[in-house]
Amino acid sequence: MICCVRTPHPSLVAAWLTAPELRGRSLVLGGLAHERASVTTASAEAQAQGVLEGMSLNQAQQFAPDAVFQPVDEEATARVRQSLLSTLHHFTPDVAAGEDPGCAFLRLDRLALRWPDRSKLLAAISRAIDAAIRVRPTMGVASSMFVSKVAAAHATAGVPVIVDNDKTRAYLARYPIDVLPLDDDLREYLELLGLKTIGRLQAISRPAFRRQFGPKALEVYDLAVGDDRRRLRRFRPAVRIEESEPLDPPVDNTEALQFIARALAERVSASLLAQGLGARAIRIKLDQEAAPPIAIEVRFAYPMTTAGELFDGVRPRLLRATITAPLERITLRAGRLEPAYIRQPGLLIRRDGFKESIADAIARLQEEYGPSLVQRAEVCSDAAPLPDHRILWKPA
Amino acid sequence: MPDRLQQAITVLQTRFGSAAPRPAAPPCPARSSGIPELDALTGIGGWPVGRLSLLAGPRGCGKRTLAQRSVASASREGVVAYVDFPKRLDPEFLNYFDARLDHLLVVRPKSLKEGMASVRVLARAGVDLICIDLSRAGSSGLDAELPHLLHRAAEAECTLLLIHDAEAEDAIRYYASLILTFERCAWVFRADGDLEGLQVDAAVIKNRLAAPGLRKRWIVPYPIP
Repeated sequence: MICCVRTPHPSLVAAWLTAPELRGRSLVLGGLAHERASVTTASAEAQAQGVLEGMSLNQAQQFAPDAVFQPVDEEATARVRQSLLSTLHHFTPDVAAGEDPGCAFLRLDRLALRWPDRSKLLAAISRAIDAAIRVRPTMGVASSMFVSKVAAAHATAGVPVIVDNDKTRAYLARYPIDVLPLDDDLREYLELLGLKTIGRLQAISRPAFRRQFGPKALEVYDLAVGDDRRRLRRFRPAVRIEESEPLDPPVDNTEALQFIARALAERVSASLLAQGLGARAIRIKLDQEAAPPIAIEVRFAYPMTTAGELFDGVRPRLLRATITAPLERITLRAGRLEPAYIRQPGLLIRRDGFKESIADAIARLQEEYGPSLVQRAEVCSDAAPLPDHRILWKPA
Repeated sequence: MPDRLQQAITVLQTRFGSAAPRPAAPPCPARSSGIPELDALTGIGGWPVGRLSLLAGPRGCGKRTLAQRSVASASREGVVAYVDFPKRLDPEFLNYFDARLDHLLVVRPKSLKEGMASVRVLARAGVDLICIDLSRAGSSGLDAELPHLLHRAAEAECTLLLIHDAEAEDAIRYYASLILTFERCAWVFRADGDLEGLQVDAAVIKNRLAAPGLRKRWIVPYPIP
């Protein structure tokens, strides 16, 4: 079962978190009233006065003259969205952001052991979101993303709507076709045919629908009968794994530098191991005394986790670096993080289930052996007939 | 397979076990070389995929031209790499064969180890065909690299071509699934005196995938503008 969690637009939530006194008031976001811009979102009070998303701010002011007009705080909005998804991620890693802002999905199937009582789980989710972003969400639980989204849109805060698998078709039948993702042409056709509710649409057979509206419209038909084959696109919380060590007094000895780098690699490795991650790149930053810092990137074919593997990549690059002044600080940052299980050798599948792209492979070879190792050739047909002029060699 | 034949095989298998007739191993997939005569000579319709093919013969016998035509043909379908140990690849020559140069990666290694590491990484990353042009004295130490390299190529289904001027070492001859030797017969000129191409004799010395011993003589046309 999939649970859809619906909150007001994140920019609205961000505005409420910044200024709690705006709650319960008519609030329009998108810009100041005199600006030539459109409404990004509006509070329920403003919507009740006739303000709609996408209308001009001038028009919105005519509908709601007493409303507060504010520009959207993009950073705060992103933080709210991130906070919502991170909160849900604490319950299960099967979390996905919805297409609508303020909408998120989570799969409940694997939570049955931890949360045998689903109503308690939903209450806990609601409480956690309330604690994180100070908003009570509406929730819908159903067998697919589409149905759960419809259920959440028609639920009230604290009272989730749960649609059982065998009642999906009957549940959707009552709603107008507007809840379906229809394009203008299809909507017009359906209305011309008098099909105004999903129930009327369900009464048509699939082959007949296909004959009338074409194979592209079948997606809409499938949604109408509750068959949504879209998969959750997993949200991955932002992870930053970085270890740094100030060098006091500054170090100009490569042996000492290697020793410190090894210790840092062990610390990075411990963080990676704790989260079950592997790094496909390590970014080394060497802060020099009275000289610009040196940045080096080491790439790996596989996501690496252990300190030995990380240091094996870091060591030759440190020895090759052109250090011109004593070093004040060394920083190791794990980049391009991926689940470490990808490296599991092929037990049931051929190869190891991991494939490096050609571009990555070339970049890695060039880092290791120099940019001139792998090249691409370009023939300049209008140049003089001399090999050096006609053929342009470029690093791939 | 007809039902009666299948029944007969089942009876024989019940009676004689592993000594009974059984279907032959599935044929090895092949990548067309772009040269119909060469495809016919290999017996499987082209270069074997995931295996090593050796093109041997003295200098000037046309083997490099044929290999480069194959590279040009493969570049029209996917990404190919040319490992150029002697550093004498002429991309303009490949252009005459309608090669897609944006699909061609030219690897110019300084050492055998560097070259083999590049082949391994590129094969694994999904390059379809890799042509290794070995210099005359550059193959020492290749025997140690080949098993690992072939394992990678087989996993990634990458076709490997090896061009070798000198007499190939035993290890290379052992690991190659297909060995073609070339011999120059004569230059062929048109009536107006222009060079048309080179007449070569090609022979299959070793073939693990089809019958060896085939010989063919044809003219390798030279794309001189």
